[in-house]
Amino acid sequence: MRFKKTLLACVVGLAISQTASARSDLEQLKAEVEALKQEVASAAEWKSPRTLVHMAGYASVGYTDTQNEPGTFKMGNFSPIFHYQFSDLVMLESELEFEVDEVGNTDVSLEYLTIDWFMNDHAALVAGRFLSPLGNFRQNMHPSWINKMASAPVGFGHDQAAPNGDVGLQVRGGFALGGANANYAVFLGNGPTLEANGFGGFEKLESPGLNGNGDGTFVGGGRFGMLFPDKKLELGLSAATGDIDIRTSTSGPVYEGLKRDYSVLGADLTWRPGNFDVRAEYIRQSVGSRAASSVPGSADWTAWYGQVAYRFYPSKWEAVARYSNYDTPGEENDRVQLAGGVNYLFESNFIGKLDYESNDNPNDGYEADNRFLVQLAYGF
Amino acid sequence: MQKSIEKTGRLLLAMTLTLGVAFGAQAAGSDKSKEGDFVRGARAWAENCTRCHNVRDPKELRDDQWKTTVTHMRVRGGLTGQQTRDIIKFMQESN
Ligand code: HEC
Repeated sequence: MRFKKTLLACVVGLAISQTASARSDLEQLKAEVEALKQEVASAAEWKSPRTLVHMAGYASVGYTDTQNEPGTFKMGNFSPIFHYQFSDLVMLESELEFEVDEVGNTDVSLEYLTIDWFMNDHAALVAGRFLSPLGNFRQNMHPSWINKMASAPVGFGHDQAAPNGDVGLQVRGGFALGGANANYAVFLGNGPTLEANGFGGFEKLESPGLNGNGDGTFVGGGRFGMLFPDKKLELGLSAATGDIDIRTSTSGPVYEGLKRDYSVLGADLTWRPGNFDVRAEYIRQSVGSRAASSVPGSADWTAWYGQVAYRFYPSKWEAVARYSNYDTPGEENDRVQLAGGVNYLFESNFIGKLDYESNDNPNDGYEADNRFLVQLAYGF
Repeated sequence: MQKSIEKTGRLLLAMTLTLGVAFGAQAAGSDKSKEGDFVRGARAWAENCTRCHNVRDPKELRDDQWKTTVTHMRVRGGLTGQQTRDIIKFMQESN
């Protein structure tokens, strides 16, 4: 009897204590769920804040073997790109470029920095230092993971026939036009500058994006492109006009004070039938004559290239051939180049390239060295 | 002198045209609120995202990163706001 009572007491005691512990388990569970809810909420904050920050960019490394020179390992460039975006209203885009020179110094430049205001569905105001909207190669093909060859076509490098950049305003956008898509970019900027060589000729035409307007006039123009999606074809036309002056000091904004005409004309084509990728572009910068100047004559810098690439799907191999031609006012820097290469696309943004360039200076008495180039490019 | 006045005139004309295009387009396209659409986005992606470079895998980036990236590409490629929203939607549902 006594034993039974004790047993009963034990059972009741156990039951009570179990109910109590179940209750405290429940409390704990509730607290955990509450904490989890808060974490989920803060994760959502992470996912959709009104300001977004993203870092992209690209880099390349390689090896170059130029005729009559020792083979050389190369660090090509490291170009981080910053994106800051507030809602659908505004974006800041900026690219820095780090390069190392032959004696080991690191050069940093601001490739571009613009504040893009999305005014409406068809127009964005792009203000700041930008890549020239004239032509296609300089603004869209130059990043190493995009360019199908390890080098730029002759005439499309820095300070050659194709304008590089400017500081000013652009309006860019697109709209449907018939069955095609039109895209446009119009700009007004400080414009480029000329450098004389001291022998009555021009050293170069520079358009890095001058943060000053020492010659006192702007340059304006733009590009108009038409994309025919069914034909996988895009055609672009570019033009610009303004005035330009010779800068007499390389270290400061000192000008001759003798303005002359400046104009740009360009046309570009992209065609991607099947496994082919065909690109061609023509660009010319011209400056008019100016009596009393240290370089009185007019001058043209003209370049064009044609490139065909073929991707051997489903493999990761691609073959590329390119012809490019660069004509300057002098004779020394003129080039005609035939280049061929193979690419291995580990991924669409990680590419190994092996190229051979046959370079020639078409003027009598000049030569140009041929090169082998190996490059590993990664866009991120 | 005469010449530089002519030039300034031409530039002013160009600027006026630019602003005309911009604000004309503003009037025509004040439909900012339209949501992105997956199917339209898939098409716009196929038509546009291989124009300049190899196609980038939607799985490469997170949703928020696609938003900034496609917005960057909008400026690069002259995409419309609607195409941009459609492509963002497509990328965000395919990653
Ligand atoms: C008009 C040419 C063009 C078109 C069209 C284009 N891209 Fe790009 N894309 C570029 C260039 C040029 C870069 C390199 C950015 C730079 O160097 O400033 C780039 C970079 C990128 C990057 C690397 C991250 C970054 O922002 O730099 C991604 C990802 C990308 N593009 C995806 C896309 C997608 C998705 C589309 C379709 C909506 C697209 N691209 C359409 C030219 C283009």
